Amino acid sequence: MTRIDPCIPDAGCESLRLQVREFLAETLRGYPALARARQWSAADPAFSRRLGERGWIGMTWPRRYGGHERSQLERYVVLEELLAAGAPVAAHWTADRQSGPMLIRCAPDTLAPKIVPGIARGEVYFCIGLSESDTGSDLASVRTRATRIDGGWVLEGAKLWTTGAHRAHYMIALARTGPQGESRHAGLSQFLVDLDTPGVTVRPIRNQAGEHDFNEVAFDGVEVPDECLVGSPGEGWAQVSAELGFERSGPERYLSGMQLMLEMIDSASAQDARARVALGRLVAHYATLRQMSLGVAGLLARGEEPGLSAAIVKDLGATLEQSLPDVAHDLFGRSMPAGSALAEVADYITRAAPSFSLRGGTREILRNIVARGLGLR
Amino acid sequence: MTTSPGTAPAPGAQADSGSTVTSMIESSAERLFGGNVDAAMHAAVAGGEWPARLWTLAVDSGFACALARDEHGGTGANWADAWPILRALGYWQVPLPLAETMIATMLLSMAGVAPPEGAITLVEEAGAGGLALDGPAQQPALRGRASRVSWARHCRWALVSMRAPHAGTLLLVDLQQGGSVRTAAGANLADEPSDEVAFDGARCSARVDNPLPGLDEPLRHLGALTRSAMIAGALDSTLAQSVGYANQRIQFGRPIGRFQAIQHALAVLAAEAAAARMAAIVAAGSAPSIATGDGASAAFDIAVAKLRCSEAATRAAPIAHQVHGAIGFTREHPLHRATCRLWAWRAEYGSDTQWAERLGSAAISAGPEGFWPAVTQRGFDGA
Repeated sequence: MTRIDPCIPDAGCESLRLQVREFLAETLRGYPALARARQWSAADPAFSRRLGERGWIGMTWPRRYGGHERSQLERYVVLEELLAAGAPVAAHWTADRQSGPMLIRCAPDTLAPKIVPGIARGEVYFCIGLSESDTGSDLASVRTRATRIDGGWVLEGAKLWTTGAHRAHYMIALARTGPQGESRHAGLSQFLVDLDTPGVTVRPIRNQAGEHDFNEVAFDGVEVPDECLVGSPGEGWAQVSAELGFERSGPERYLSGMQLMLEMIDSASAQDARARVALGRLVAHYATLRQMSLGVAGLLARGEEPGLSAAIVKDLGATLEQSLPDVAHDLFGRSMPAGSALAEVADYITRAAPSFSLRGGTREILRNIVARGLGLR
Repeated sequence: MTTSPGTAPAPGAQADSGSTVTSMIESSAERLFGGNVDAAMHAAVAGGEWPARLWTLAVDSGFACALARDEHGGTGANWADAWPILRALGYWQVPLPLAETMIATMLLSMAGVAPPEGAITLVEEAGAGGLALDGPAQQPALRGRASRVSWARHCRWALVSMRAPHAGTLLLVDLQQGGSVRTAAGANLADEPSDEVAFDGARCSARVDNPLPGLDEPLRHLGALTRSAMIAGALDSTLAQSVGYANQRIQFGRPIGRFQAIQHALAVLAAEAAAARMAAIVAAGSAPSIATGDGASAAFDIAVAKLRCSEAATRAAPIAHQVHGAIGFTREHPLHRATCRLWAWRAEYGSDTQWAERLGSAAISAGPEGFWPAVTQRGFDGA
């Protein structure tokens, strides 16, 4: 069983934190509470470019890819400040978190020098092509196929629940390139797909809150050149597993509902014992999850595999965040004034919350990972 | 076949790494408690015996005075160094008032008083409500009753932290001074001694001011710190026992640990144990000691730790019992020693609800702008 040790940011991190806070206080002045709560669907390319100018995207990457060679903890501090402020980070988030690192790792001399600097500038955006209509938690069952042709590959199939495909420039898509073998994990490969390629169709899917966040992305005879095979053919499963470790390890896994916590604090009366107890419990959960999340950043900084610890933190984080709308309902219920920031944010988070334990690995998949770590599988 | 703590994975495998001092303390706590605390000892203690040999071994290992100054026979360790001892107290369910004695010897030593020999229990602020002081300031006499005092009948001394109008005053009282102190035996729900003590003009051997300006209720805070670490240790024990049992118990032709329902329940238990461990270690890292001084974030970190560890106890204990089935519900099986302590300790030195009141009050006073800065600096401004 892996353990997560405390990791306390040093003075350099804390002075960076103050710079980020100052930047955000200025940039987001007057930015409404509901907009802050909706940061996952709030893509703002101008904001992403400003972060790029500040050097706050691709922070840990080598300079030759446009990165800034900062530490994992410095990156962590910037991320948690952006999330806590409800900054509109959706445009570049996926590219910064996982697509850029994957290209640097798996295509260091071919794709990465061409594409990654644009990510670091906050100009190039990615989406993730894993899920399909018959493929959710069981990723090995993907049916999108890539077939070899002279000088490249042809993709046929469709990806589903693809967040941000409508505003992304590229997808890294998982496709079957060979037989699945006994483990079912063989014969999968990843491809970089320019979403402007002929044969790619992006169709919106509205979520229950009415937002356009995810999409269906169909591939109809989409040709990609050889160099767009990311990593090695047949190694897609291992690459995706590593990628998901990154996806699950960040502070977004407990900080995406924080605007509701802030609104509850704003509306609570110090004379209300129920509110004091309920909010006090949440304070302790936030404080503990932050230490755990920082501890996972510390694992990454030491080059350790974050998978198991990240699964625990994501599971606890989703549980915390999904409790927020219920606490708000319990404390305020119908007494929330219609049209108030509290009511708007509570309504929004209530409808958004089911996704917290689905995206990036369902609660059940995470608990399977933890059980395997305990020696039960 | 059942899994006892004696066959469970060594806690050292999960304990904190770090300084040489810490790892020396860790291995010596491991040897001492892992090698000496067994079912027979627990049975004897439940029957009213004092494990004198174990106490002597713990004192000889330097644990009782670990946080006292060198000149007071201590090692000047801080709470992070001492964390493996506290965790081991929970993991092995050690039947000694060692956490209480460690707190008392540190406070006395910080206040310039050489800690006396013998076990020292605590009368924390909340339990000192019925106590009054009279007589001259230099030779005060203590009157009143304190309830639920851990291990009082076996302790030579009590360190008493007074409430208003004597708030900030710590008194060292000899519990065996004769008729002016009487102890009535009681127990917490884990059968640990938890006694009522009546003081009738009891003489105080020392009177000092609270040496920790950052903690206005030093015994409640440090008690909560130590219970948090002990809960984290007991959670690791319930997890190890439950995983061990799930891998051995065969039903429907396979170990029950192969069933997803069991796996997911144990994943929740593991997550709670991991959260409790983190909260307790962070609090140990900032708690005040001779070596570290007055930790700025200690009051916040301790409140967070006791709240989170107590909640983890509430969630984890029923999972451990559900996985164990009927055998875990027997007196013979060791599981109850861990789970009953989780239920007892979650209430001691402030329950999760009581600590939540404090944190919630501070959060509401600080307002929405104050929340995130409080999380990152681990403390509310002005609260």
